[in-house]
Amino acid sequence: MDWLFFSEIGLAGVGSGGLYALTGLALVLIYKATRVVNMAIGEILMFGAYVFMGFSAGLALPMWAAIPLAILVTGLMGGVIERLIIRPMLGESAISIFMVTIGLGSVLVGLVEIIWGANPQRLVEFMPSDPIFIGEAYLSSKVGYAFAIAAVVLGLFLIVFRTWRGGVALRATAGDQAAAYSMGINVPGVFSSVWVITAMISAGAGILVGSIGGISPNMGVYGLSVLVVVIVGGLDSLLGALIAGVLVGIIETYAGAYLGGEYKMLATFCLLVLVLVVRPYGLFGTHEIERL
Amino acid sequence: MSIFHKIAKRATAVALGAGLMVGAAHAADKKDIVLGGSIPLTGVFAFAGVGIHAGIQDAVKITNDNGGIEGHKLVYVPEDTAYKVDASVAAFNKITSQHDVNLYYGDSTAFSKTIAPELDRSGKMLMAGASFASELDDPKKYPNIFIPGPSYTDMVGILLEYIAKEKPGAKVGFVHSDTEFGRDPVEGAKASAKALGLDMNLVISTAPGGVDVSTEVLKMRRARPDFVIFHGYVLAPIPEFITQARSMGLKTKFMGTFWSMDNSMVGKMGDVADGFMGVMPYNYYYTTADNAPMLDKIRSMRNTYQSNAYMQGFFSTMMMAEAARNTVKAGKELNGANLKAGLQAIKDFDTGGVIGVPVSVKGNSVPVGRVYQYDAAKKQMVAASDWINLD
Repeated sequence: MDWLFFSEIGLAGVGSGGLYALTGLALVLIYKATRVVNMAIGEILMFGAYVFMGFSAGLALPMWAAIPLAILVTGLMGGVIERLIIRPMLGESAISIFMVTIGLGSVLVGLVEIIWGANPQRLVEFMPSDPIFIGEAYLSSKVGYAFAIAAVVLGLFLIVFRTWRGGVALRATAGDQAAAYSMGINVPGVFSSVWVITAMISAGAGILVGSIGGISPNMGVYGLSVLVVVIVGGLDSLLGALIAGVLVGIIETYAGAYLGGEYKMLATFCLLVLVLVVRPYGLFGTHEIERL
Repeated sequence: MSIFHKIAKRATAVALGAGLMVGAAHAADKKDIVLGGSIPLTGVFAFAGVGIHAGIQDAVKITNDNGGIEGHKLVYVPEDTAYKVDASVAAFNKITSQHDVNLYYGDSTAFSKTIAPELDRSGKMLMAGASFASELDDPKKYPNIFIPGPSYTDMVGILLEYIAKEKPGAKVGFVHSDTEFGRDPVEGAKASAKALGLDMNLVISTAPGGVDVSTEVLKMRRARPDFVIFHGYVLAPIPEFITQARSMGLKTKFMGTFWSMDNSMVGKMGDVADGFMGVMPYNYYYTTADNAPMLDKIRSMRNTYQSNAYMQGFFSTMMMAEAARNTVKAGKELNGANLKAGLQAIKDFDTGGVIGVPVSVKGNSVPVGRVYQYDAAKKQMVAASDWINLD
């Protein structure tokens, strides 16, 4: 047994799991606040990465400007989507809104193809390229830095949503919308804020994912893996997204390393089936979640 | 002028007029030869589909400007498919129900395999397409289909032949996507490597849509291959593989097959593009060579760089037009069997520089290609070998 290889695989798994967890956070936040399973999360992530490319490569802005601008623009787009498309759908059946988000994903792909074309692209390098060694174990620098950024963002969100007034409003809205209204919470405002925040998180995740694997209009399939993560973790659990993200990342990389790349998805979906059989509401999800 | 002369003159004029009318009527009688196309102008393969479409359009225009195919006008009827098999089949049904189609361009291996029984049943047309799948290189199983270049197995064979010459006994890695496209040449590559005395000590399959490749690079670090061939990708994850391998100090040379060999796409790899190699069945848009009038013509029609997909569409149309020309010249009906015979009659065909050597059809393919290497200073893929013709 090559223990160094084993530990290097584990590190790579934790690293890619961090990215899953970050994107999973966006899915969970929307679900918690609005009960919408946003199937367009992968495409919003892709759109954010393209906006970043537009600012960094197209307009040649420095990174310190391109990254926040890309995140802000994508956040703004999230707000517009909520106001124009999602809010009029409130009160409709969950499956209707679910289908609308699938359509939204296709619209975003089309929009990106119209603006930036269908060719795969590479993002401007902005992370250090020297490899990271933890002891003797190698970790890809991009994966390492992406994990660190994802961990900081996740940590901040976990703290903020437990202590900040907006976080409390969100949790109250998630718990009981009518009660939240009666307590003076601006529920539509919470919905808008959540769409803006989650679009911003997705854009950040898109920039990180795109900096590792490049970008293309079909990059949104990444959202499929993230959907598995949040179902495993529990659709309404932030902590669940974090733990399941890392778990899926580790399982995928070990399966890829010891069984072959063709077993990565198989391993992930086996985990999904197993969790759904044992705990249909996910590892940390709330029991009464209505399933689609 | 005598009456005799007047009569003779009028008779000549009448005869000429009648002759012209008959000629015109004869030309009008010459039926159009229809080239239908299931073209992926949108969707995940649109990056290639747009170029393929342009290449076909230009080849059709050049053919018609030069008098058509033995006087028959070549008509191109495309439909967008978004690279979906059901949409490709629907496009095929629509086009073939509205036109008497003789030639067809299909957008994928899956479509080719799906529509093959219908081609065999109708017996009306010859089909080429975007697929270089090795499985299609079987004239018995696919009698109405051909590959406009070498099959994927042949592409890898060309690279392995080059490696065997450069470094006999070299260690070779093979990295492919876990898709039908990616898996295609794996077994053929292993057999060719063995036959050439190469040590294929690493075969890695990557999950489609996978982002991080560090696990695979860790395997590469342990195997330390002299060459790694990528297959089943367009761009990602090749740059990240090379970046990580170089950061680990590996001296491996990296190579690709046709769909990862577009000059602009390789240029997008950034710093790691320098030295990237691969196999290309056609000349590049910018290739300057003696006796390459078709490349000059292409550049006069389009003054900006055209992709390798463009060259593929262009070459496919040239070959289909040549097959039709051979069929018409032989006085045979334009149907699938005769068109295929016309295609297989193509021997030492001068493509005007689209391919740097005269080409012949062998089986269902044209097994010729050249190894290129990216020169970052020139920002171009430049030839690293002569044309390699597989027997």
